[in-house]
Amino acid sequence: MAGRPSIPTNSSALIAIIADEDTVTGFLLAGVGNVDIRKKTNYLIVDNKTTVKQIEDAFKEFTAREDIAIVLISQYVANMIRFLVDSYNKPVPAILEIPSKDHPYDPAHDSVLSRVKYLFSSESVASDRR
Amino acid sequence: MAAATAEQPRDAGSVPRVVEAEEVDEASEGGRRLGRDDADDDDEILRFMDSVDGYLLLMDSLSSALRQGWFDLASARHSMGTSRVSSTLFDHKEQSAATKLQVVDSEDLQSSEPNPHFILSKWCLQEKSNSNDAGDIVKDITKPNLRYRGSATTPVSLHIFTSSRVKKMAARNQTQLQQSLLLVQKARSKALSIFGALVSPKLRTTQISFETALELIVELANLRSNMLSSFSQIKGE
Repeated sequence: MAGRPSIPTNSSALIAIIADEDTVTGFLLAGVGNVDIRKKTNYLIVDNKTTVKQIEDAFKEFTAREDIAIVLISQYVANMIRFLVDSYNKPVPAILEIPSKDHPYDPAHDSVLSRVKYLFSSESVASDRR
Repeated sequence: MAAATAEQPRDAGSVPRVVEAEEVDEASEGGRRLGRDDADDDDEILRFMDSVDGYLLLMDSLSSALRQGWFDLASARHSMGTSRVSSTLFDHKEQSAATKLQVVDSEDLQSSEPNPHFILSKWCLQEKSNSNDAGDIVKDITKPNLRYRGSATTPVSLHIFTSSRVKKMAARNQTQLQQSLLLVQKARSKALSIFGALVSPKLRTTQISFETALELIVELANLRSNMLSSFSQIKGE
């Protein structure tokens, strides 16, 4: 289709993680951990000492990197930077909100479902029909 | 002359009829086009609803896989000790991720929005369908359109030939499979080694649970991009 922006193909992209220690540990055991030559990692462990600014900086860094294709973020962490997560609208890297040990997944707060929920709203359907 | 003038009114009368017929054709064509557009809209809406449903179901499966992983990790920490299973042991030396992703542009030309597709490469292995090679050879050899000429012994020797060739292919595939499995085992052991040479079996099951979670995450990412693509199409109409 003319004018359709294309996605750059990448054959070795990374998965970034912003989550609690146990979640990051588990995914590192699954082989997603990466440390580059500048000692930059593709993960951030969030604990009670982690500031919102650190989380924001990590989110902005991971979403700006071209070698990262998916950013996993615990939903309770995403809630701390909700404005930033909801205003993100690029196709790659894809942002996925995942549950954590102490905070189960809540579809009402998911940024992707929030974006498309207006289709399920009776008000929007009724206004289209008028 | 009178005949010529008499013919003119007849010709003038047929022209409006032709125009009317053309208008009717255009109207019916427009109606058919509208019907096709409505069907396309319905298809897109159904695709969107399927994506949302699949997304929620997969998220539920992911929660289960992660819960199992956290539980196994807690058990490993209990048996090995808190200091042996800790993020302070993470290696900060330069290292490349063993599990990566491939990103390709989806071939959905109908969508005006970019629609990436993600493919997981676990432990840096590309999945090859080697087992199909032997099957293809068997199919080629036993094709009914192959004609064999010669003596009566030919079919028997052919049978022996094809059987040995198939066996060689199967043996080669088996060797490749074993090599792949060895590489995967090596990569898994390397990931576990950050917690020491001897680790609890629960740590190994944690690894498997999170590998399963990764597969679900990649499926979720693909559903997400399908959902957003369908949504943008429906919104744009």
